[in-house]
Amino acid sequence: MSLASFLPAPTQLSQDQLEAEERSRLQRSQSTALVSTRREPPPYGFRKSWVPRSLEDFGDGGAFPEIHVAQFPLEMGRKKRTSNALAVQVDAEGKIKYDAIARQGQNKDKVIFSKYTDMLPKEVLNEDDPELQKPDEEAVQELTEKTRSALEKQVSQKIAAAMPVRAADKLAPAQYIRYTPSQQGLAFNSGAKQRVIRMVEMQKDPMEPPRFKINKKIPRGPPSPPAPVMHSPSRKMTVKEQQEWKIPPCISNWKNAKGYTIPLDKRLAADGRGLQTVHINENFAKLAEALYIADRKAREAVEMRAQVEKKMAQKEKEKKEEKLRELAKMARDRRAGIKAHGGEDTEVRERDEIRHDRRKERQHDRNISRAAPDKRSKLQRDQDRDISELIALGQPNPRTSSEAQYDQRLFNQNKGMDSGFAGGEDEMYNVYDQPFRGGRDMAQNIYRPTKSADKDMYGDDLDTLIKALFVMFVYCFTVTSGAHNVTMSRPVLGLFLIGSSQVLTTALAGMGLCSLRRILLVWTSSWKKPNSTEAPKGHPLVGAPRTTTMRRNAGRSETRSLYTQNVYSERARVIFYIYKW
Amino acid sequence: MFVLLQDVQKHSVHTLVFRSLKRTHDMFVSDHAKAVALDDQSYKMKMAVKMRAEYKPVLHMPVLKEGRERGPLHASDPYGQLGYPLPGALPHYLVTGTHPYPSAPGVALTAETQMQKMPFLNSGLLPRKAPTMPKPQWHPPWKLYRVISGHLGWVRSIAVEPGNQWFVTGSADRTIKIWDLASGKLKLSLTGHISTVRGVAVSTRSPYLFSCGEDKQVKCWDLEYNKVIRHYHGHLSAVYDLDLHPTIDVLVTCSRDATARVWDIRSKANVHTLSGHTNTVATVKCQSAEPQVVTGSHDTTIRLWDLVAGKTRATLTNHKKSVRALVLHPRQYTFASGSPDNIKQWKCPDGNFIQNLSGHNAIINTLAVNSDGVLVSGADNGTIHMWDWRTGYNFQRIHAAVQPGSLDSESGIFACVFDQSESRLITAEADKTIKVYKEDDTATEESHPVNWKPEILKRKRF
Repeated sequence: MSLASFLPAPTQLSQDQLEAEERSRLQRSQSTALVSTRREPPPYGFRKSWVPRSLEDFGDGGAFPEIHVAQFPLEMGRKKRTSNALAVQVDAEGKIKYDAIARQGQNKDKVIFSKYTDMLPKEVLNEDDPELQKPDEEAVQELTEKTRSALEKQVSQKIAAAMPVRAADKLAPAQYIRYTPSQQGLAFNSGAKQRVIRMVEMQKDPMEPPRFKINKKIPRGPPSPPAPVMHSPSRKMTVKEQQEWKIPPCISNWKNAKGYTIPLDKRLAADGRGLQTVHINENFAKLAEALYIADRKAREAVEMRAQVEKKMAQKEKEKKEEKLRELAKMARDRRAGIKAHGGEDTEVRERDEIRHDRRKERQHDRNISRAAPDKRSKLQRDQDRDISELIALGQPNPRTSSEAQYDQRLFNQNKGMDSGFAGGEDEMYNVYDQPFRGGRDMAQNIYRPTKSADKDMYGDDLDTLIKALFVMFVYCFTVTSGAHNVTMSRPVLGLFLIGSSQVLTTALAGMGLCSLRRILLVWTSSWKKPNSTEAPKGHPLVGAPRTTTMRRNAGRSETRSLYTQNVYSERARVIFYIYKW
Repeated sequence: MFVLLQDVQKHSVHTLVFRSLKRTHDMFVSDHAKAVALDDQSYKMKMAVKMRAEYKPVLHMPVLKEGRERGPLHASDPYGQLGYPLPGALPHYLVTGTHPYPSAPGVALTAETQMQKMPFLNSGLLPRKAPTMPKPQWHPPWKLYRVISGHLGWVRSIAVEPGNQWFVTGSADRTIKIWDLASGKLKLSLTGHISTVRGVAVSTRSPYLFSCGEDKQVKCWDLEYNKVIRHYHGHLSAVYDLDLHPTIDVLVTCSRDATARVWDIRSKANVHTLSGHTNTVATVKCQSAEPQVVTGSHDTTIRLWDLVAGKTRATLTNHKKSVRALVLHPRQYTFASGSPDNIKQWKCPDGNFIQNLSGHNAIINTLAVNSDGVLVSGADNGTIHMWDWRTGYNFQRIHAAVQPGSLDSESGIFACVFDQSESRLITAEADKTIKVYKEDDTATEESHPVNWKPEILKRKRF
């Protein structure tokens, strides 16, 4: 009545159905069959297209001559097939022992795990489970003894083999063998029926070298078959894993023959400098602080000293100025005919001074004339001159007397005597076209500024500065002259000269001024108030870096000149010259 | 009619509904669980409809001849499970013994034998009790207690003296140093190896110290003179480990030449060469009971050796990666092996697999176990895991800092060992130090609880 009863039987069967059917069929055949059937060759006459193959096909007989195929009755003539296939083995329960293949060729008592269940973890047992207990003392003792004896035997053998010389082996006792030959008779065995044979072992020479060469390498026997692998195949390596295991190539710090690129951080790490932090002793900090403090104190002290010095210098300067001013006043007074209250004294003193000078001069002359009047040459006379006289006279520098004197004009000429003077042009007189010792003028050697002296001192814009000064100067000059025209009775002479030094030298030779090259400004002025001591206003160069007063008593005139240092700059010179007369 | 209507008591709708419900319940309460009675007619109709609708194309197919013979096959037919027993289908038994014959000659096929069922099937059908993990034993956590620095290279091996007074370390600086166990002071330095010392062992039966190194040398030191008295010459490559037999005077060394060698201590004779591994033999252990020698190798196998014959007793191939560490349990008849994939426990004479201790995902260099059941695994990346031996529960993980001046990559455990009292754990490390751990006395089960749930054990196989 079920649905299945209406439906036709399925054509395909599942595995368990197939197995069940097989079983049932087997059972049926077992239970029903009374006699076992045997395959027999078909009877004669029915053997068309029948080929005997198996052993049963032949029955008990031989080959069938009428069938023209190769036949092997009783497996006769068939080649022995050598197969390493194992015979199927079954266990006590009748199941096929599939581990036979794993055990093949192995020792019988070898433990081989081949079942799936061998891979499964066992149930967790108690600590004192009998399965987990070690064998008792006796068993261990027994095993130990057994092992020890086995090992001892091995060891003794090995040691004996290793000994170079050993005692001769003891010979076994002689054996006696009774021997009855099969051929009896007088002709054989000298007529004896029996013989007794004494068998003695031959003596061996203990020192005899081995007879056979045993130093040949004996190839190893085949290894024992592998044990079944009891784990799943290893997973394929992932890219990540591979990268984790990638070990970068080793690169030397000194050589990189393959030219690997080294990342910067690695480079720094390999250097080893960044690895340890630099630890500086704190005493360095203390020292630095102490040094700083000492330096500051020293600076303060220096500054204070400088200030004090400056003050002193200022005071001194003031004192000098005061003296100067006094002198100037005195001179003015004298010129003006105004007698100072100590006027006579000063005149007397001046006269005394002059007298003293004259006397000294005379004495000097006398001394010279008395020493060697005839030998006195001009040169000697020149040597007596002091430097200012030499400059004033424009005499050559006498200091080079010790050296050999060369005509400097012959130096630095690429033409000589061989090539003929001036390239063979004898007619031209161009060898001595320069004055002898032209550059050795005293005045040209002294006070010759270096090239960049004024640049160092005033900076690059000296030209513009000079121009500005010049303009200002002219302006001042006009203003003051105008003013003085009105207020002053004294004539004011403004002399403004631009010209060569030669002009000036000729013009001012008597005044001891020389070698002014380009600009010379002479400005004569007088003070606004004859008696006042204050400095004149409107002098643009009063604040020049260093002012020196030079008093010259060469005898001819009283001259107060205010030289400024920049007077001698190479390019342009401004001389602020106060000339009073 | 009117009167009747009057008789009817007036109830609220609520009450009426409830009454109706009650009445219905009373009526059907007896056959509530019963299936609805089968109505033959409706069933036939239903079947007809179903057949026509679903099976019409196959309804009139020619019936195969062999299909007729399959009468009893329908016993296990899935179509028969609809709840309508087949007419005349009796419970059918097959003789499903191991073989289709009676179990013994002369035993008749009786009902009794007929009832025999296939044991395999039977066991398969029975619900197997799922194995659960028992509660792990509580162990106090271990803490770092002392760091001993003195070696100038990796410390590769440790051994503790049987008297528990001192321990000995072998290092990559080619020296063997002997340290006082209590104070950690250096007692003695032994020089003689010309390469890394990979294994040291102190004999319990003689005043000898044995050492092996990457210079292929195996040395026997007399500790009364502190001199080398014997060399065991024969290894063809670096010797990686050695162990002494506890009851016999033999020494077993293992080497990169894929062999382990058994030496007679006194005569220096090479008793056995245990060959069979196909790669470096990394570790060797000896015990007095079978198997007397166990080796672990880089060919991922463990071999149990028959010392008498010098032959392999069993080969354990369960590991997937090289086995660098082995340890024998001090009390039980078991041992454990460490490999980068797993730590495995084995039962002794034959090497039956017990369980996996997974979770230490590093190259395990060393294993140690004490009789309390604390298994320690030290790895190449400096991690130490502590396990409960029985349950495989990992109760502590340690990663000690490297000594100052070392790179981070220089943290690695090469060897670890419990001292004889099993209260100290000594580790040899790649940062050139020896570290000593001890149990935390202040810890209790409450302060460090076991994080365990009685969950069903996953049956992992490898």
